[in-house]
Amino acid sequence: MSILSVRQLHIMGKQNDIVKNLSLDVQEGEWFALVGQSGSGKSMTAMAICQLLAPNLQAKGEIWCGEKNLLTLSSSEIRKFRGKRLAYIFQDYQGSFTPFLTIGQHFDEYQRTHLNLSKKARRQQAVNALISVGLNEDIYGRYPFQLSGGQLQRVSISMALLLEPDILIADEPTTALDSVSSFKVLQLLSKLQKETGCAILFITHDLRHVRKYADRIAVMKDGAIIETGDKNRVLNHPQHAYTNELIQSSPSLRRIPFKLEGVSG
Amino acid sequence: MELVIKGKSKRRWRMTVLFTVMATILAVAAYTFLIVKHDPALVNLEERLWPASMEHPLGTDHLGRDVLTRLLLGAQLTVGYGLLSLFAAVIIGVPFGMIAGFKGGLIDRIFMRIADAFLAFPDTIVAIVLSGLLGPGIENLLLAIVLVKWVNYARLVRSTVITERQKEYVTVAKINGLSSFGIMRKHLFPHLIGNVLVLSSLDLGKIILLISSLSYIGLGAQPPAPEWGAMLNDARPYFQSNMLLMIYPGLAIVFVVLLTNMLGDYLRDAFDVKKEVGS
Amino acid sequence: MFRILVRRFIEVAIFVLVITFISFLFVRLAPGDPVLSILQVDDVSVTNEQVNELREELGFNDPLFVQYGNWFADFIRLDFGHSYLTNQPVMEMIMSGLPATLELAVGALLVMLGIAIPLGSLAALYRGSWIDQFSRAVSLLGAAIPSFWLGLLLIDLFAVRWGALPTMGRDGFRSLILPSVTLGLAITSVYVRLLRSSLIDSLSHDFIRATRSRGISEMRIFFAHAFRYSLPPVITVFGVSLGSLIGGVVVIEVIFAYPGIGKMVVDSIRSRDYPVIQGYLLVMAIIVFMVNSAVDLSYRYLNPELRLKERKHGKWS
Repeated sequence: MSILSVRQLHIMGKQNDIVKNLSLDVQEGEWFALVGQSGSGKSMTAMAICQLLAPNLQAKGEIWCGEKNLLTLSSSEIRKFRGKRLAYIFQDYQGSFTPFLTIGQHFDEYQRTHLNLSKKARRQQAVNALISVGLNEDIYGRYPFQLSGGQLQRVSISMALLLEPDILIADEPTTALDSVSSFKVLQLLSKLQKETGCAILFITHDLRHVRKYADRIAVMKDGAIIETGDKNRVLNHPQHAYTNELIQSSPSLRRIPFKLEGVSG
Repeated sequence: MELVIKGKSKRRWRMTVLFTVMATILAVAAYTFLIVKHDPALVNLEERLWPASMEHPLGTDHLGRDVLTRLLLGAQLTVGYGLLSLFAAVIIGVPFGMIAGFKGGLIDRIFMRIADAFLAFPDTIVAIVLSGLLGPGIENLLLAIVLVKWVNYARLVRSTVITERQKEYVTVAKINGLSSFGIMRKHLFPHLIGNVLVLSSLDLGKIILLISSLSYIGLGAQPPAPEWGAMLNDARPYFQSNMLLMIYPGLAIVFVVLLTNMLGDYLRDAFDVKKEVGS
Repeated sequence: MFRILVRRFIEVAIFVLVITFISFLFVRLAPGDPVLSILQVDDVSVTNEQVNELREELGFNDPLFVQYGNWFADFIRLDFGHSYLTNQPVMEMIMSGLPATLELAVGALLVMLGIAIPLGSLAALYRGSWIDQFSRAVSLLGAAIPSFWLGLLLIDLFAVRWGALPTMGRDGFRSLILPSVTLGLAITSVYVRLLRSSLIDSLSHDFIRATRSRGISEMRIFFAHAFRYSLPPVITVFGVSLGSLIGGVVVIEVIFAYPGIGKMVVDSIRSRDYPVIQGYLLVMAIIVFMVNSAVDLSYRYLNPELRLKERKHGKWS
């Protein structure tokens, strides 16, 4: 059952086409990886889903979630989807938070928009969420600039999954993190995904993430998808030359696969 | 030396129009004495307060003088004085700023203290106090303006120098063996000129307003000089009967200041200068 | 934070010392003999003896430093001396004029906010639309119109022609309207453009998009996130342009004969009434200090990073 269905998406800038005729389906509960290099249009595709593109860009096509075409919804209608059925986490962890609000204030605003809980209940829910991603309760009162990248990404994850969305759109969440934090964040995502059963649309340029966690992959180049399929099939028997190139240029994928030891800390 | 101007053809066209209009005004102001038929100072009580006619396209004022002539001559005064004081402020301010920016250290700190002291007093107040105490007269007013304004240019130049020096291309250029002066010429001067030009054009408007305000109060240009602010002061008692006398000089001021502000805006866009420069 | 205020205060104290000495010198060295000025008020012919007597009495024959010392000793005790003209204590004159000036300043600021906030916000939200062009035109025009001219036109229109609003003096709320509106209009232009550009910048930040992705309403995004984030540059400009606001108040007070300290100082300049001039300069320096401190404090409030890292300079770059 498709939770998100993109049909013939076109994204156009003032002078050029950024995404051309893109179609993909994300099934319920699956980890779908959208892979491509910088400039391939993968982030734009993700932004287009909830009408988050910059005003100078235009999106055409169909994006189905449930029975609604997200691209045609009015702004009050799309707001019902944002943060509730579809949630985002971004690459820029500092840029995901308003500098002068505490983490708690971020939670509070979010909760008050979608839920009807008392102040105490909101705080409790938020604190529980923080703990579930391995953070301490006192993060609640901190400001974003006081937290590290890894911590902020965890907060983002905890907020994104707070309302149990159908699909989590993760736009290169670990690209800007160091390898240890990156590993932990991915581990966390995987665990939470299994617990909540939500689907993940995972944008990345790094095939190593794909190998370990994804169910299905789509490869993007210059604004179009050139190959889609089950992870193992695509990685072991790529049908397209470009896919092969990508695989070849990722060293650990060339060797005999070995187990990544968990780094303690 | 390359001036980095972001040119789009529409903008260039507008700038050209602007420049042409301003050049025309300046030209008219400068050569008015060739066009002028009436003596702007000659009092002719027989002809006072006449409405517009062929002879006097804008009528005559309360002393029978031709309004149009006085208006045009006023351009010389108002704009001329403005440019004069602006020029003086720049001439004084820029070297100070350069020295403070390059030398740094104690000299810089002393300079900043002096600048702060000058800045503490609002320009209008200082102008009023200075001209009020030294006696009314346009020279005192201009002196006051220069005293107040030079600091802005010094600070601007200083901060430009400091910012540019820290930038990476200076280090890179030095590694490449470019002489200090060469670096300055290629990188620093364009920024300096750009910033100073923008600030000047925006300041010119403010200076013109200040000159006319104080002349209105009687602390600037003295009669019978046809400065626009002073003309407004003359016209005041006749508002009921001859409202136009109060409108013309005011409109003239608005027109000129508007032009200089627009010029400043375009320059700012063209040189891509940050917003703080204009305040 | 207390430490910072104390440090600022000391800086200002030194500064005030320097300024008062300079202004003391300045005022004393200006041409025009105050003694003659005082005596002429009586419109009585005076003998040389009387002049010398008064000169002696007022301490004008003492060396400059002594004069300054005496004056400063009084100043510390908040005794700003007496007006040469009316013999009223300067402190009293200032205290009676200050409320009027403050009313005018606040009124003008309210007018400015009432225009700049809506106009600037709409211009930022609907970039390129007619309202954006309109705000640009308003801003350009507003900056070009001399405030004294506008004031005169309004006076002549409202009072002389239509008789609708009072134009002179201070007599209840209605007499505050015209002066405040005139001054308010004069200062609006800068803030409209500034708010617009600051908002456009804020709205382009990533955290706005992140907030939107959580389903937060556009209204809330605008007011609680973008607008608040846009404030520091606007406040900075306010602090810097305080000088021209003060100047503007003076001009408006003179034109509308509004009895504030601006009008007071212009009158006292005409009559070489030194103590009043000096008192005014000092009060202004203090007010500027207070406003600048408030500006600094507001940075710390708006930006928690400054608050928590205890940085010394509250600059928003």
